[in-house]
Amino acid sequence: MYLIDAIGAAFGLLAAGDPALWQIVWVSLKTAVAGLAIAAPLAIGAGYLLATKTFPCHRIAIWLAQAAVSLPTVLIGLLLYLLLSRQGPLGGLQWLFSQPGIVAGQALIALPVLTAFTLAAVQAADPRLAETAFTLGASRLRVMLTVLHEVRFGVMAALINGFGRVISEVGCALMVGGNIAGETRTITTAIALETSKGEFAQGIALGIVLIAFALLINAALMLLQGDVRAGRAARAALEREAAR
Amino acid sequence: MSLLSLRGLRKCFGPRLLFDIEALEIDEAAAYVLTGANGSGKSTLLRILAGLETAQADHVRFLGAPAALHPYPEAMRRDIVYVHQHPVMFSTSVERNIAYGLRSRRMAPAEIRERVDAALAWAGIAHLRDRDPVLLSGGEKQRIALARAKVLRPKLLLLDEPTANLDGPAREQVIAMIPALLREGASVVMACHDRDLIALPGVRRIKLKNGRLVHRHRDGETWPLRSLG
Repeated sequence: MYLIDAIGAAFGLLAAGDPALWQIVWVSLKTAVAGLAIAAPLAIGAGYLLATKTFPCHRIAIWLAQAAVSLPTVLIGLLLYLLLSRQGPLGGLQWLFSQPGIVAGQALIALPVLTAFTLAAVQAADPRLAETAFTLGASRLRVMLTVLHEVRFGVMAALINGFGRVISEVGCALMVGGNIAGETRTITTAIALETSKGEFAQGIALGIVLIAFALLINAALMLLQGDVRAGRAARAALEREAAR
Repeated sequence: MSLLSLRGLRKCFGPRLLFDIEALEIDEAAAYVLTGANGSGKSTLLRILAGLETAQADHVRFLGAPAALHPYPEAMRRDIVYVHQHPVMFSTSVERNIAYGLRSRRMAPAEIRERVDAALAWAGIAHLRDRDPVLLSGGEKQRIALARAKVLRPKLLLLDEPTANLDGPAREQVIAMIPALLREGASVVMACHDRDLIALPGVRRIKLKNGRLVHRHRDGETWPLRSLG
């Protein structure tokens, strides 16, 4: 019975617009989006380069990029903790137990995910795209932007997966953020804390928000892809009709 | 005058030597058909000339000036355009596909518009201006690709099997576009087997055979291209 009561209380918190709960959601969103925004240009560029250029140790670089996707976030948290702690080389930044610290962690977590997904998307692209852009006189940057535009759904899938990874991770945010209420408490660290206190309602409410995020973002991607495919199919049908 | 001149052009795939060409001269405003058996290296040769493949060359001159194949010089990139056997279209309108190279050259919008309009009319695809080229037929895509190349006013056009997999009116339309390109002063090298392209007036025939480039007269006699002088 207590589970049903807790779920009921969770919906009550969400409906009542509990400020503490929405503050946690806001911190999570803000740090996840900021981390993603920092990682995206670097990772998309790296993914493109890994897919299109060869250089010494190229295969090792691909192997490391792909292996880094499954790196435990708690390990990234530990590494960042050591770097940002008072005795660490980046201690002067005073980012430990602060939102910039969490953002740095989220960026590090997102980096390999975005790189690996972009790499896969560009590798799957028709190589004639880049060749055509090149032979039409496009600069290297424009060739890259053209190819990335052509594989934009793959890049969007990379961003969505990256967002999913950073918004749902707990290890790094807990170690680097410190779970400070109103400051560095994120959805996942709050769920861990509330569960440990036996306060399930807020944890469930935050879990519902997390699930809602995942559903909304994936629905947006599916709609976008569906629109393009359905639009093309409809146009092709119209053209076939007109040709008769 | 020689537009592009190469000496000692060699291409290997691993230990395998694909071809070893003593000399290749492409004159200004001249048309060539490049023939040869499948796997002889026709497409590879065109791709090397377009900067899409690397190869060894002892001596390269472009428009009379010393040049190199690697790194591929900007001057050659600006003046040499390669069209794939199956041209790939960017997922935007036909008009923007044709304007792509002009935008890359940061040309003024009014001039882009003017050139694109002329190219659309030339290729007979003005009615397709706003269409998504991905949905169009192979013949229409080939005409868009030729318009996309022509609009840049290249000095050398490299066409890889421009009529392959086309038949009927689509093939005839593409063949009819080649003399128009020549009249505009572009040199054209076409890798092909199409007899109608080979028979076009003024087209010189070169052949890749056993890793060597030979010139072929209409009577079938062949000799190394170098002796053309």
